[in-house]
Amino acid sequence: MRAHSMLTRRLLASTVPVALLMGLGTGPARTDPLIGNVLNSYGLPGGVETPTAEMLPDGTLGGTVSYNELGRRHDIVFQLHPRITTALRYSRVEGMNDHNDLGHIWDRSFDIRFQFLDEEGWRPAVAVGLQDFMGTGVYSGEYIVASKTITPRIRASLGIGWGRLAGQYRPPDAEDEGGKPNLDDWFSGSPRPFGSVTWQVNEKLSLVAEYSSDKYKPETRDGRVEAPGSQVNLGAYYTFNPQYQLGLYTLGGDVFGAQFSFALNPRNAPYPSGLEKAPAPVRPRPSPASDPEGWSGAWSADPTAQPAIRAALADALAEEGQILESMALSADRAEVRIRNTRYIQQSEAVGRTARLMTRALPPSVETLVITSNSEGMATSSVVLRRSDVERLENTEAGRIAAAAQLVDAEPRPAGLVKTPDLFPRFRWNLGPYLELGVFDPQDPLRYEVGAQLKASYEMMPGLILSGTVRQRAFGSMEQRGPGIPGQRGDHYTPEEYLSNPAYEYNNGVPRVRSDTRMYTGNDSPTVPELTLAWYAQPTEQVYTRMTVGLLERAYGGVSGEVLWKPANSPLALGAEVNRVKKREFDDIFGFRDYEVTTGHLSAYYEFANGFTAQLDVGKYLAGDKGATITLTREFANGWRIGAFATKTDMSEEEFGEGSFDKGITISLPITWAAGTPTRDRATSTLRSLSRDGGARLDVNGRLYDKVRDAQSVKLYQGWGRFWR
Amino acid sequence: MIATRIHRALWPALLIAGLAACGNDDTGNNANPLLIAAQTAGGALSGLRDGQAGADAPAPRTPEQMAAEALRVNPAPLIMVGFETLGRTQVMAMTGQNGAVRTYMAPSQEALILRDGMLIGTRGLGHDLSVAEPQTEPLIRAGRAGSARRVMRYYSGDGLERPLVFDCTTGPGPRAGVILESCEGHGARFQNSFMPQGGHLPVSRQWAGPELGYVTIQVLRP
Repeated sequence: MRAHSMLTRRLLASTVPVALLMGLGTGPARTDPLIGNVLNSYGLPGGVETPTAEMLPDGTLGGTVSYNELGRRHDIVFQLHPRITTALRYSRVEGMNDHNDLGHIWDRSFDIRFQFLDEEGWRPAVAVGLQDFMGTGVYSGEYIVASKTITPRIRASLGIGWGRLAGQYRPPDAEDEGGKPNLDDWFSGSPRPFGSVTWQVNEKLSLVAEYSSDKYKPETRDGRVEAPGSQVNLGAYYTFNPQYQLGLYTLGGDVFGAQFSFALNPRNAPYPSGLEKAPAPVRPRPSPASDPEGWSGAWSADPTAQPAIRAALADALAEEGQILESMALSADRAEVRIRNTRYIQQSEAVGRTARLMTRALPPSVETLVITSNSEGMATSSVVLRRSDVERLENTEAGRIAAAAQLVDAEPRPAGLVKTPDLFPRFRWNLGPYLELGVFDPQDPLRYEVGAQLKASYEMMPGLILSGTVRQRAFGSMEQRGPGIPGQRGDHYTPEEYLSNPAYEYNNGVPRVRSDTRMYTGNDSPTVPELTLAWYAQPTEQVYTRMTVGLLERAYGGVSGEVLWKPANSPLALGAEVNRVKKREFDDIFGFRDYEVTTGHLSAYYEFANGFTAQLDVGKYLAGDKGATITLTREFANGWRIGAFATKTDMSEEEFGEGSFDKGITISLPITWAAGTPTRDRATSTLRSLSRDGGARLDVNGRLYDKVRDAQSVKLYQGWGRFWR
Repeated sequence: MIATRIHRALWPALLIAGLAACGNDDTGNNANPLLIAAQTAGGALSGLRDGQAGADAPAPRTPEQMAAEALRVNPAPLIMVGFETLGRTQVMAMTGQNGAVRTYMAPSQEALILRDGMLIGTRGLGHDLSVAEPQTEPLIRAGRAGSARRVMRYYSGDGLERPLVFDCTTGPGPRAGVILESCEGHGARFQNSFMPQGGHLPVSRQWAGPELGYVTIQVLRP
């Protein structure tokens, strides 16, 4: 999956220390660990079915769809760290039966692989892996594998496997709710060997031969399909651009399969520098001799000067997608407060603003302060000396970073003049929407298509009335009640579910999320959201939010939040309290009886290298108490991939299948894919199951992400685009 | 073939996912990840962009005609730039000067940044050179043979600025008055050629980067 020239690879190299990326050094980069060219049917680097010790380039997000008559696997793979590969799988396993009685089951599984030794000299790369290590465990197995480059085009791997990789099947415990690591099973049973050889015929084609010990016991138990007669599998894989791969393979010569893989790498954007137009260059000041009046600062006494400068700068900033909300101007200092509506990396907004300031301001102004506003809250100020901006234009970005100061922004400084006529501000957008639902065994992919009108009315910075109306056009999402307790696979019809209020409780647990599908399939207009939000900044480091209205599809009420986040601190602390009532399924403005107060105390920490952690402790929608931990990896370009898990005091039996709530979030900026500058993102959350335990209110506009774009960790992480 | 089929299959998803929207608010939209997959599908958009560029361009004119017209209507310093890989030639006018460094822009607001003829940066071309630090510059201007380093910093797809470091040697070219700068690094090599005149570099062919390739630059009006 990496048909790149060495030069391009150098630009894509992942393990360059951050200091180097900032341009503070010029030492050679370390190379990636042993990188795989073929994704196996489990969606990880490997042979046909067996694993290897190979990794993917750091940060790679990929997917594989692999079909054969024994099953269909849909894999998502993420290279979490240069040496750690993770995968999430949703597969249809033939020959098995569950309560749905379909002759196959749909099963989720997670894999993780750690390459603890890299290839060096005679030593092969060695990795240890856990396959399907939590949950039902159809694919449950563990392995240790070594991979070695024999010639530049031939790579061989040899390993030993347990569980599935040794041909043994670990039947799930019928009593267990699944979803937990199966620690007792790991590395149990007698191990067996496996191995593969990959021949890279040319840049595009790879041929694979492997020996596998898998006996396909779950798939062949009921005798409808036969296990392959031989343990030798063969495959051919064609990479038809660095991102896509098509594979054909046979298991033992009896079973034939096909697969398609893609791999996106955050470093490998179609337009790495973006397609936004060139910025206006710095305009150096004329010599004091040629503009004595401008240098004297006498202009600041002229009452007409300020509005003229402000208007000119506001117009120029507007061209760059920056709203000049307010400005403070004196003879030697200028502060602008901008709202960035265009660039995903705040440094680009700051850099362009700084250049425009050099073009608009009289020469006596030496101190340039660029304050980033978000919903009227001033989240940080970048303080620059104008002479540094003049001197360091056309040098590496690290030098202006060293010359700039990042400080907390004062919420209400003296002398700040608001730009007239910006507010009230009415925005609207009419467009289509597509909603997808996955993970229902009886209907693995549901969708709905329709039109959506979004509008917002901002009365003053930070006070926003906003709403969304949707009208379904067509789709396969239909209204349905939750599963009937004790009759797995059967669901209440909407009418049944509405007929008895007692159904809204399951084992005494209120149905706060498991009846989510009662909210879908509505043919009349729906209002997913209609809120009045007020953002404020009581002190330099404290931000608040109050939201009232229809907060999300299933709940309405009041949500209040407070966040402490200094501009230069990687640590933030927050608290949120919500008083909400469950919304009516069909009636837009109606409510049902269930009412609850939920809330959390949160701690956030931004580690180096783009990893962030969040811990929320509190009371969830069903009244259960517990904690959510979220780990996210973020790239300077805006890629965000995270995983979360919630455990509450609700027992595993009360929670039901899956035992506790967990999932992953993928958020990719549109600008990365399209090149055109925009702050839009494509975001998707995959949670293992919609259950009632550990469910949080889904209110929009939480403070943490509103505040931190312009703050130290994210701003400096993306500083490389200051001069873009 | 397969790629085409995929594009075709993904285009409807792409349209649904929010491209065909209207309103005065084009910010803060959440699109579906399908959009991302669709948009990166093998340069579907790059094809589109090239097509657009072709459609926007006026009737083909010779570089001489373009130069003559630009000199007539634009009083600013001008350069003629040929992008060899993009297959186009255009006139760019100076829009700013900071010390010895000048920024030249095309009407399409793509820019080249030159230090008296030496390519220092590009903007708005999708694979921009952030800044070049050619330590060979004094050798080239003096028309002398020697060797030095050249650091080229690029905007990488993950949002950083990454350096490529090359070892370069300078020496006389095949024709009198031409000096060549041959660089090597990261398994790649390229060769810039200059015609220095009194320390200035009015005519040159310079390598801008792995994707942009070579650019020929000719000063029309200094």
